[in-house]
Amino acid sequence: MADDGAPGDLDTAAEDGALREAVAAEHAAVWGYGVVGAALPPQDRGPAVEAENAHRDVRDRLGALLEERDLDPVAAQGAYELPFPVLSPVDAAALAAVLEAGVSAAWVAVLDDAVLAPTRALAVRELGAAEVRAVRWRTAAGQVATTPFPGLPAG
Amino acid sequence: MTPSPAPRPSGFSRRTLLAGVAGAAGLALLAAGCTSDDDGGTDAATPAEADRLAAQVGVQEAAVAAYAAAAAADPALGPRVAQQAQQAMAQLDKLRAAAPGATSSVPPDAGGPPPGADARAWLREQLGAAAGAHEAACAEQAAARAALLGSVAAGLRGQEAVLL
Repeated sequence: MADDGAPGDLDTAAEDGALREAVAAEHAAVWGYGVVGAALPPQDRGPAVEAENAHRDVRDRLGALLEERDLDPVAAQGAYELPFPVLSPVDAAALAAVLEAGVSAAWVAVLDDAVLAPTRALAVRELGAAEVRAVRWRTAAGQVATTPFPGLPAG
Repeated sequence: MTPSPAPRPSGFSRRTLLAGVAGAAGLALLAAGCTSDDDGGTDAATPAEADRLAAQVGVQEAAVAAYAAAAAADPALGPRVAQQAQQAMAQLDKLRAAAPGATSSVPPDAGGPPPGADARAWLREQLGAAAGAHEAACAEQAAARAALLGSVAAGLRGQEAVLL
């Protein structure tokens, strides 16, 4: 594998596609954390706001990266379908865990398709950050706090 | 994998929120410990990559041993991290399956927390170090091996966070 970090003549088409999926997942997380925050009492919204900001930052940095590569931007959806009704703080924590799992899957897919070492470094960093956030939300949702293979498809 | 850069159809939003649905095709091979090609032969390990993956098996063995050492030093800690210790073992099994050439039969000398030290803090340090090693190795791997190492590293970051 050529890991010199420069696109050179490497074919980055698959990596670009995976990065676009990561932008889409980050869009969904930013939207979803709005729902998470709304279902939490005001004094408990801090972690949701922090997470939303973190996802917004990553999304924007990814968007800039795609722009550098002359790729079209990935637009957010107007709204997303929730996997279950979010009516309580426990629901909110469970949704946050789902959001982090969604971005984790996207980052693992980036790792699977990446041809540039800096892209893998970015992906593994964000994957770890997502899992650390997920630990907090799973705990709040009464789930097992950790998972051995974040983002990796089961099987 | 479906790296289609085209605008998403409307069904995409649901798929994005429901975790882990996308991108399974290429990664499914990984679960069986298969490192043969997943998209036209780009996933064959070079000897250097295979060596580095074998080295990460040793890193993970040390993480598993650290759980045992920490539990021995602080019996109250053991039951509280039993699930995480099991997960570290599952991670080791999967890494071994992906690196069949790894022959680290020598028990890793993880040592243990110094007498009187905080076993929990010591364990957290060991897990953080293992995660860091996997993260660094991940950047030098490709395809399914990068995905596995990155996922295991993230799992260890989660285990580290539990101990905070």
